[in-house]
Amino acid sequence: MTEQNRGHRAMSLSAMEGLTLTCGNRRNLLTAFDRTNTESAKIRAIEKSVVPWVNDQDVPFCPDCGNKFSIRNRRHHCRLCGSIMCKKCMELISLPFANKLTSASKDSLSTHTSPSQSPNSVHGSRRGSISSVSSVSSVLDEKDDDRIRCCTHCKDTLLKREQQIDEKEHTPDIVKLYEKLRLCMEKVDQKAPEYIRMAASLNAGETTYSLEHAGDLRIEVQKVYELIDALSKKILTLGLNQDPPPHPNTLRLQRMIRYSATLFVQEKLLGLMSLPTREQFEELKKKRKQEMERKRILERQAALESQRRLKERRSDLAPRTANGEVASLRGGPAPLRKAEGWLPLSGGQGQSEDSDPLLQQIHNITSFIRQARAAGRADEVRTLQENLRQLQDEYDQQQTEKAIELSRRQAEEEDLQREQLQMLREREWEREREQFQATSLHTRTRSLDFREIRPFQLEPGREPRTHLAYALDLGSSPVQSSAAQKTPSPVSALEPVRVWSGPPALGQEPLPQSTVSQQSELASLNPFEEEDPSSPTADGTTSPPAAEPASGPSACVLKEYNPFEEEEEEAVAGNPFTNPDSPAPNPFDEEDEYPCPRPSSPPVPGNPFEEATCTNPFEMDSDSGPEGEEPIEEELLLQQIDNIKAYIFDAKQCGRLDEVELLTENLRELKRTLAKQKGGTD
Amino acid sequence: MNVVFAVKQYVSKMIEDSGPGMKVLLMDKETTGIVSMVYTQSEILQKEVYLFERIDSQNREIMKHLKAICFLRPTKENVDYLIQELRRPKYSIYFIYFSNVISKSDVKSLAEADEQEVVAEVQEFYGDYIAVNPHLFSLNILGCCQGRNWDPAQLSRTTQGLTALLLSLKKCPMIRYQLSSESAKRLAECVKQVITKEYELFEFRRTEVPPLLLILDRCDDAITPLLNQWTYQAMVHELLGINNNRIDLSRVPGISKDLREVVLSAENDEFYANNMYLNFAEIGSNIKNLMEDFQKKKPKEQQKLESIADMKAFVENYPQFKKMSGTVSKHVTVVGELSRLVSERNLLEVSEVEQELACQNDHSSALQNVKRLLQNPKVTEFDAARLVMLYALHYERHSSNSLPGLMMDLRNKGVSEKYRKLVSAIVEYGGKRVRGSDLFSPKDAVAITKQFLKGLKGVENVYTQHQPFLHETLDHLIKGKLKENLYPYLGPNTLRDRPQDIVVFIIGGATYEEALTVYNLNRTTPGVRIVLGGTTVHNTKRGLRMETIRPHLRRRSAGSGNSAGKGFSGRFGKTAMWC
Repeated sequence: MTEQNRGHRAMSLSAMEGLTLTCGNRRNLLTAFDRTNTESAKIRAIEKSVVPWVNDQDVPFCPDCGNKFSIRNRRHHCRLCGSIMCKKCMELISLPFANKLTSASKDSLSTHTSPSQSPNSVHGSRRGSISSVSSVSSVLDEKDDDRIRCCTHCKDTLLKREQQIDEKEHTPDIVKLYEKLRLCMEKVDQKAPEYIRMAASLNAGETTYSLEHAGDLRIEVQKVYELIDALSKKILTLGLNQDPPPHPNTLRLQRMIRYSATLFVQEKLLGLMSLPTREQFEELKKKRKQEMERKRILERQAALESQRRLKERRSDLAPRTANGEVASLRGGPAPLRKAEGWLPLSGGQGQSEDSDPLLQQIHNITSFIRQARAAGRADEVRTLQENLRQLQDEYDQQQTEKAIELSRRQAEEEDLQREQLQMLREREWEREREQFQATSLHTRTRSLDFREIRPFQLEPGREPRTHLAYALDLGSSPVQSSAAQKTPSPVSALEPVRVWSGPPALGQEPLPQSTVSQQSELASLNPFEEEDPSSPTADGTTSPPAAEPASGPSACVLKEYNPFEEEEEEAVAGNPFTNPDSPAPNPFDEEDEYPCPRPSSPPVPGNPFEEATCTNPFEMDSDSGPEGEEPIEEELLLQQIDNIKAYIFDAKQCGRLDEVELLTENLRELKRTLAKQKGGTD
Repeated sequence: MNVVFAVKQYVSKMIEDSGPGMKVLLMDKETTGIVSMVYTQSEILQKEVYLFERIDSQNREIMKHLKAICFLRPTKENVDYLIQELRRPKYSIYFIYFSNVISKSDVKSLAEADEQEVVAEVQEFYGDYIAVNPHLFSLNILGCCQGRNWDPAQLSRTTQGLTALLLSLKKCPMIRYQLSSESAKRLAECVKQVITKEYELFEFRRTEVPPLLLILDRCDDAITPLLNQWTYQAMVHELLGINNNRIDLSRVPGISKDLREVVLSAENDEFYANNMYLNFAEIGSNIKNLMEDFQKKKPKEQQKLESIADMKAFVENYPQFKKMSGTVSKHVTVVGELSRLVSERNLLEVSEVEQELACQNDHSSALQNVKRLLQNPKVTEFDAARLVMLYALHYERHSSNSLPGLMMDLRNKGVSEKYRKLVSAIVEYGGKRVRGSDLFSPKDAVAITKQFLKGLKGVENVYTQHQPFLHETLDHLIKGKLKENLYPYLGPNTLRDRPQDIVVFIIGGATYEEALTVYNLNRTTPGVRIVLGGTTVHNTKRGLRMETIRPHLRRRSAGSGNSAGKGFSGRFGKTAMWC
């Protein structure tokens, strides 16, 4: 575009280049004390060849100041544009300055004085450095050997140009940080897809990639995220403490950069799936092999079961008569089997942090702090922690309020139930105690029962499940798993009977009461089933199969439902039969209703209703807190809280208040659970 | 033939051309609107554009570490601002894009100002119009005409916008215009002139069938903007007002702070994209589905996050959930407000009578209904005036015209004078005298039969009986039956084949009802692609506001209407023009 102007500028620049050369020559000549008239004539010729000089006669007055030229007031030619000025209106350019402009390279800069020098100081410095060289010649005006004579206009242009060069050389902090930020983002763009590919393949049980490699990559990517976060935060706070606060636009720029970095991290980090642990991976590999097979078998079983169920219903009578004995017999082996089934799960507890993708995420976030600390970035750590602390305080408060309210509600509910339950509770109390003490962590639920029946009831549910899960998880032979499947049905067939027969055996309770208790039990079955998918996480913090996001496990989880569904049906079917007075309680409805009785007995560790309704592992934990806490769960909770906090923080930043509310509510729930847990352990 | 895509591509290209590094986007008032219609902030942030500045803002700081992308209309002021900017550059390097053809002399003066050689690029990117929908554009000009003639400034702006559209779509069209409108003819000539002058720019690959530009005048169909609409986009525009995809909800009672202003953009909002052309009833059920869907994803109220599995699912779905909750709350609010307004203003009943006035010829029943509604206290003065306007337009020459009686009713109802004056204004604007074609009575045997059959079948939906006149015009055009004596070609050449690519431009503003018509035509007619544009998109309220601001202008400007922003969807769009 700017043809004219550019042409002009280009000319003056090329002129200068030529002149710097000639000047260089000239200096050489000077130092050699070999300066003759012929030389100076030559120089002049060169100078004139660069830019055509305006004819002296054409300019009677100085075009700038208007003074007439005379012998005293001599004409001077600008070496850059060739125009004529008087001496006052002429400027001189030092060689280093010219060099700097023509080469615009760093070394020329380094020799040159500071960029902010005014024209005058340029003169001064030139004088200082060059005077020695030009000592031979007088320092009179005519002998401007190392200076280039040019008009003020040309000099202005050159000075502007110099400023531009300086600006180019000088990179503000924000740019440096920003460049780093972009580099990190690029890295993520490169690595994240690679990692996701790896993780997907590993989670599917494939062996294309090695687990270690993927793990390393994951850590690498996470570090980059952390770096992005830290860098953008730094950009955000840049210059905030300066005395004249930065221009609002600068702040806006910083905010926007931070915002876009947050968006970036949000979008990408959340898409980062987790890796299986080594053991899980082994399982996954096995599972993958057997998956097809298993599926077929399970399908077959499903078909068989429906038939079996019919038969069993008919054969209900027999077990019912043997009720008491069977129950006691069952009591013995059940814990064992359970232990068998649950061991791998509890074994998984150790790795729970890593094995749960969710926890991994949490871990990432919290570990930012840890990593930052390790890396010695104390300031980041401080800011991170401060944020965390602030949030924590805030929500602690809210949580207490909520807890108070809840306990009040619980108390009310409790009153409703208490009367009915009083007698039962008294009777069952001691027996339960014993049972509880005898049983392990996982039988805790059972031990809370106030009736003998209870353990058995739950057992059938658990038993098949664990068997099956075990079979599925560890890839045991199909025969085994099918065998495991068989067990539940007969047992479950027994249930209604036991449920019904239990209370009378314990004491002659009025019918309505027994109905109630029975219903609650029935309800408890359902919760248990529901709990089941989540129970691995709840009970074992993370049982490998359930914790894995891969599709494989989900299939087996589904299958695991089978026995329970059956059970449930049995229960429904059995109810009217066993207890004709009861109005055919619908387990589903009850499930919803029965959360009420649950809180009725927080102080009584052995309250049946506690378990009966504990669909929520957290609630169960909290209610049964005294019975034995699992530290891991608490840790899990804490991590969960951290994670939610991170979300709240994010939502707050983005001003999405409704989300904040929702999240806060969740957080409160968690906190309450946690507090209860703690209270329990205390 | 997708205007949103065309503009978006321009913007993307600009940003890409400037390479990596922090960028600032320098715009003027109009280009800000143009860009914001096609790009969301977060989208543009991802492309390293962190600041958005107006070229005319004085409070800009020197930030040499930023690259400047200037997207400006080539107006005199902008060039002046740019010259000042280049003399004292605030940013390290400038990429300059003009939204239209810029004169050589302007380029020269810019070049002279660029002493520090900070300009890296100067280009023309023809995104000089507001892309509302893929097939709908607007120029956001209010009051483009004075009387029946163009305001010269607006004529040139309209010409620029229209030629920019043609350039961005790479079309060098044949031009037809509405003979009855002087404005249409003037505009057609101006466009033709530009095409001739900038013939180099308009040298595109020839298509078999040349594209067609049809220029119409709003005054030929003053009815459409006066009707209440029942499709989502049109309703929102009519009742709430859409301005550059933004909806101001601040007057909604009990609105939460972050919903004061919401953005409805089909580009980024799937629900809106899927529902903008559906009618109100369908929206209601879709909103319900959306809510249910959302409830499913949402952690349940009573059970909250009961297990770790729940929580895990929650956290994993959280980003999606966030996005969804934003969409849900936005649309629920908007639809809630719409239905509140509908019932508050008794709009269903009003609309039924409006439709009857527009589509049927039963004078006595129409008169009766109008009178009845005028007595209804729930009907706002605005709606009342609108009904009378419709009546006045339809039964202008009816033997037993009782307009004076209705005007009396209006006065008795307490309708302010400014509304009452609109009635005569609209008749002057879009009355029989002005119309080139007959809006109300069928013209030929086919149409008469059609209407007869329609009468037999009964109307499927009383609220959507009305078909904008544009539908018939376009239908004829597509079939090659549009009469040349009514819509002549500019120049000697005529189109022998049926047209394929059609740009329709309505002086005085298009409506969302017409946009819907075009959308449906595009869908149902294979091989035909239509883009609709107007000096604005009408909505009643904005017209009204215009009117209240400049009531004294009413007389003078009674000629051709136009309306503001996007908004004259309906009825008062026209009135706005006159006011």
